[in-house]
Amino acid sequence: MESDTVLYISQAMHGLAYGMVLFLVSAGLTLIFGMMGILNIAHASFFMLGAYFCYQVLSMTGNFWVSLIVAPVIVGLLGVLCERYLLRKLHAYGHVGELLLTVGIGMVILGSVKIFWGTESLPVTVPQILKGLVKLGGLEYPIYRLFIIALALVILAIMGLILYKTRLGMIVRGAVSDAEMVNALGINVPAVFMFVFGFGTWLAGVGGVAVAPILTVYPGLSDQVGMDAFVVVVTAGFGSLKGAFIVSIIFGLLSSFGVQFVPKLAPVLMFGFMAIVLALKPAGIFGETE
Amino acid sequence: MKNRPVKVILWALFLGVLVFYPSLFGLYFTNIFVIFSIYALYATTFNYLLGYTGLLSFGHAMFFGIGGYGTAIALERIQGLPLLPAIIIGTLAAVMLALILCPLLVRVSGTAFAMLTLAFGQLMHVLALKLRWLTGGEDGVGGFPIPPFHIPGVISLDITDPKKFYYFAMVVLALSMWVIWFFTKTPFGSIQTGIRDNPRRVEYLGFKLPHTKAVVFIISGGFAGVAGSIYALFQNLISADDAFGIGNSFAPIIMTVVGGIESFFGPIFGSAILSFIDELTSRYTERVEIVTGLILILVIMFAPKGFSGFLRFMRGKWLSPPNANPALEETK
Repeated sequence: MESDTVLYISQAMHGLAYGMVLFLVSAGLTLIFGMMGILNIAHASFFMLGAYFCYQVLSMTGNFWVSLIVAPVIVGLLGVLCERYLLRKLHAYGHVGELLLTVGIGMVILGSVKIFWGTESLPVTVPQILKGLVKLGGLEYPIYRLFIIALALVILAIMGLILYKTRLGMIVRGAVSDAEMVNALGINVPAVFMFVFGFGTWLAGVGGVAVAPILTVYPGLSDQVGMDAFVVVVTAGFGSLKGAFIVSIIFGLLSSFGVQFVPKLAPVLMFGFMAIVLALKPAGIFGETE
Repeated sequence: MKNRPVKVILWALFLGVLVFYPSLFGLYFTNIFVIFSIYALYATTFNYLLGYTGLLSFGHAMFFGIGGYGTAIALERIQGLPLLPAIIIGTLAAVMLALILCPLLVRVSGTAFAMLTLAFGQLMHVLALKLRWLTGGEDGVGGFPIPPFHIPGVISLDITDPKKFYYFAMVVLALSMWVIWFFTKTPFGSIQTGIRDNPRRVEYLGFKLPHTKAVVFIISGGFAGVAGSIYALFQNLISADDAFGIGNSFAPIIMTVVGGIESFFGPIFGSAILSFIDELTSRYTERVEIVTGLILILVIMFAPKGFSGFLRFMRGKWLSPPNANPALEETK
């Protein structure tokens, strides 16, 4: 096998893995937006909280699998609390207040994280079984990245099943297109909102746990990955899950190959892509024009 | 206003305090006051978008930053450049940026506008970090020469002296704020508030929505550039994280919300309140953002009209004659 091909494939793997993490974060973001019409600026902070809880649970139990389950659940519960006791009270007064409220929540989370864990990078180690490389068809793949891709695909499958095969999913899809109508049909829409918000933040938490071993855990995490997730949602079109998936993968590949070929331009590539898309289609690739 | 003499006396008192402030409070508080005033102008330009036109910008720091960088780089690269052209270069840089972005931005509103400005703000941040040959990367541009403020035959002021810088900054910032205030009182200002309250009706009346939004956006960006330019001169340094960081985009948002969105003076109150809180909390803890975040949440939850709403409430309660119509007061 030529060395070039190997390089390309390993870069593609990196890109795919990062794209999957982006998808986990942006899926929650776009779901919450589509449903409730609010852009959760604190979403990136919930993502970062996932990484920190992963570190905390790991250092308490020593088991990565436990933290993979527990950390996102705690994040999701925090999300539910934020929705129930803060956002819901503002819902009647329009979106600007809610948007600004999530800014405040994000700042409080960032400040608390710095108080509890400090500002230095915290390492997270993965269990032995996920370490190292695996040989497949003459090529070597890092197992952990494969694991992230598999994890994201499993979650995607579960999400798809819930959204398209269950009654709850039907209600959620209905509420995305017309929450008032669904409410009028006698369904407790605020409760559904709470569920979706919790689910979205849970997804962000899973994303946080997934990147924790790769990027280490530090307070800048929310800016780094969070901003990319926002760009994904804007480019894909607000509220489009399919768009978020496709654009996440495009951006993951773009960033990994960008670093490979045009290292100086790499951080700007995504924004350039976004600017081109928006110039042609202001609502995003999969966004519906009003 | 019924009490004209009282108003005149109050303004004279206010001006007197402004003039003698440096002598009264010393250097330390003078510098705090300069920073407060810079942010007051910056927050006012932000509120010119949000409060008057209903456009929420999450990337306002890009104008602040490019204004600062424009002035700093101009003074660093061009030998013997006088002060005023340097400030104008910074302002024009911000205006140019607004001009480039407005074809994309004026077509959207609400959350989409907020997201797009956020993304472009981040893009500017990345650019400031990466274009090392121009911006100095993470270190920013610092130590550039600061020429005296010089108008031949009229005045020559060495603004490296903090006290003189105070007067210079006050004049520039107050002038800018007055111009923005003037804009809000023109017929154009009425179209703006119309766009905020009912864009469709404004369109029916024959005004072009995108064009109006573009003009507002450019004015707001240009004056944010002035604020950034003065900031760069004050610090003699402008760095990417300081100028373009997301925190710098959030600062005017918080100031405006805390001070009161629906009032022209709200952002100025907000800037004063937050400078005060910053000054107090930073003596006890490094984590100022948790305090400001909590304040933001509390204000949005319990006092969405902010400090100026509170003032108006108080005035309506105690200072208005008993037969005054409170509803009329509200709509003003």
